[in-house]
Amino acid sequence: MDPDKDNANPTILNPSDLPSRRANASLKKRDDGGTGLFDHLIPAYTYLNDPFDAPASASDSDDDVVEDIDEQEIYDLISTISDPEHPLSLGSLAVVNLPDIRILPPTTLKSPISTVVVEITPTITHCSLATVIGLGVRVRLEQALPPRFRVDVRIKKGTHSTDEAVNKQLGDKERVAAALENGTLMGVLRKMLATCE
Amino acid sequence: MSTTTSPPAPAPLSTTHHLLPLATCTPPSTARTWQTAPHPHLPLLATACADRTVRVYSLSNFALATTISGGHKRSVRALAWKPASRGASTLATGSFDASAGIWRKWEGGAGGDATSSDDFTHSHKTDEDEEEEEEEYNFASILDGHDSEIKSVAWSASGQYLATCSRDKSVWIWEELEDDDSFETVAVLQEHEADVKCVAWHPESDVLASASYDDTVRIYREDVDDWAQVARLEGHGKTVWWVEFEGSGMGRVLEAGVDGREGRRKVLEERERAGPRLLSASDDCTVRIWRKVVKEEEGGGQGTAGGVPSIFRKSIEEEWVTEAVLPLRHDRAIYAASWSRRSGMIVSTGSDGRIVVYKEQWKANEPKGVEKPVGVEGNEAATLTEWVVVAEIEGAHDVFEINHVCWAKRYDKGKRSEDEEVIVSTGDDGEVKVWTLEEVSSNNGGA
Repeated sequence: MDPDKDNANPTILNPSDLPSRRANASLKKRDDGGTGLFDHLIPAYTYLNDPFDAPASASDSDDDVVEDIDEQEIYDLISTISDPEHPLSLGSLAVVNLPDIRILPPTTLKSPISTVVVEITPTITHCSLATVIGLGVRVRLEQALPPRFRVDVRIKKGTHSTDEAVNKQLGDKERVAAALENGTLMGVLRKMLATCE
Repeated sequence: MSTTTSPPAPAPLSTTHHLLPLATCTPPSTARTWQTAPHPHLPLLATACADRTVRVYSLSNFALATTISGGHKRSVRALAWKPASRGASTLATGSFDASAGIWRKWEGGAGGDATSSDDFTHSHKTDEDEEEEEEEYNFASILDGHDSEIKSVAWSASGQYLATCSRDKSVWIWEELEDDDSFETVAVLQEHEADVKCVAWHPESDVLASASYDDTVRIYREDVDDWAQVARLEGHGKTVWWVEFEGSGMGRVLEAGVDGREGRRKVLEERERAGPRLLSASDDCTVRIWRKVVKEEEGGGQGTAGGVPSIFRKSIEEEWVTEAVLPLRHDRAIYAASWSRRSGMIVSTGSDGRIVVYKEQWKANEPKGVEKPVGVEGNEAATLTEWVVVAEIEGAHDVFEINHVCWAKRYDKGKRSEDEEVIVSTGDDGEVKVWTLEEVSSNNGGA
């Protein structure tokens, strides 16, 4: 192992332990006690009370149809990001975890904007790459999600020595925009995101 | 998500005005647009774009007049037209490439009837051998000095000074040298502890305000030969994205009323003495109004209220207090707020995609010794007046964030009076939108 790395011996999760849609579906079947024959007909998402998930018939243009997006999908988008110092994914390092992803509905009836909150858990409390990892998560979600989502990426409370400072930086749109025009940093991010589909 | 808790939605408003879309400038930019500045006397808007260009749109027909490109190597983040520059239009740009650019275009004819010359085809004045270039804004100067991204640029009211600020934590003040398009650094102010997000000048005197990632606002003025910080304004809980001074004489928008109540007259007198107020907008979702405290000894010879008798010269320190916090209508960062120079209204916008317009008014019932709002100090205006929301629109740039909003004079055919104003918003969708503020007729007030 490279002694220069911040955390030379991270804990690695077994891929089969990582959350996935398939695992959820089987759980659901058991809970229902049913045969599961019709499960695929029932929407897997739980956002039916989102006022912007009005029936597609309410609008005549495909562009206006708001697609359901749930935490698992967010997880799938970011868990495959590579760690900047290990050849491992953020999911397998438990840097991103399904329970730490939340989708907040619009704050008013008229607002078209939903918020995705992702809390990341750096592998060790003084990991200097926390900002880069957070930036990678934010960039990945901003590129992959429809623009009606605001993306808030934070360090999970108590898991990093300078979490407040890192959070402030990750929340600063202008700094993020400027970072994306920085060639060196973009090179690092591209490498991290190369493993996403 | 197992439970759907309903968010704490702001209560519905019965507003007195509607914000109606008048036009979207065409064609829009394909990249994010950051800020739009109305020309001081021509029907033009200049927009700072992430594609490294500046787009100049007509306020008469909302079409693209010209694109300024080839100067900056990264996003153009901010821009400002030089005031009081008849005969030439001068634009300052600030970029993520850490440089500021000065661009100039000679105005055809003369500045006199400038309001009608929204095309530039009758330009006669040529800049020596550049007769081919009349249609263009020419690169005049580059201001190098900042170590990292420039976030904001602003000209002083007289046009004598240009202020720039950057992620390098500094504010620079530049002065144009006579005749040769070059600029001299007159001050480098390094009081802030983090990125400086915005700079703004006082409308009458050479007083500068800056807002920062360190959550504070600072005020500077020239003291003998040096520029120095004279006040540090604390109150915001997060990054302060925007500062702007109130227009000159706007304290008079409110009138004491025919019965001329004593309290109201006092408020207006005090306001007159304190001079234009300052607004600041923050990531903490608030807009604050700050007022300078008039020192009792002002003009007199002696020391300050704080009492530092050993200093011979009058202290330059100023005290600014929060006079009001505007009604909370935003639930994400507020990126910009702007004070109408005509009506005294304030418009704000930000990450939540809302545009909100506020007005100050006398409270219907003058409170008798009631507690002041939390964090609001001093002075009677805080208890005699209130800011109310007069109009609000959700999703003004569809689902996109709005980076900037300002007021501009109306020039299109639908203009109803000489001094009518429009609101101009600039978004992540690359669009610059123009809005009118319409009073709701009283019989169907509110929605």
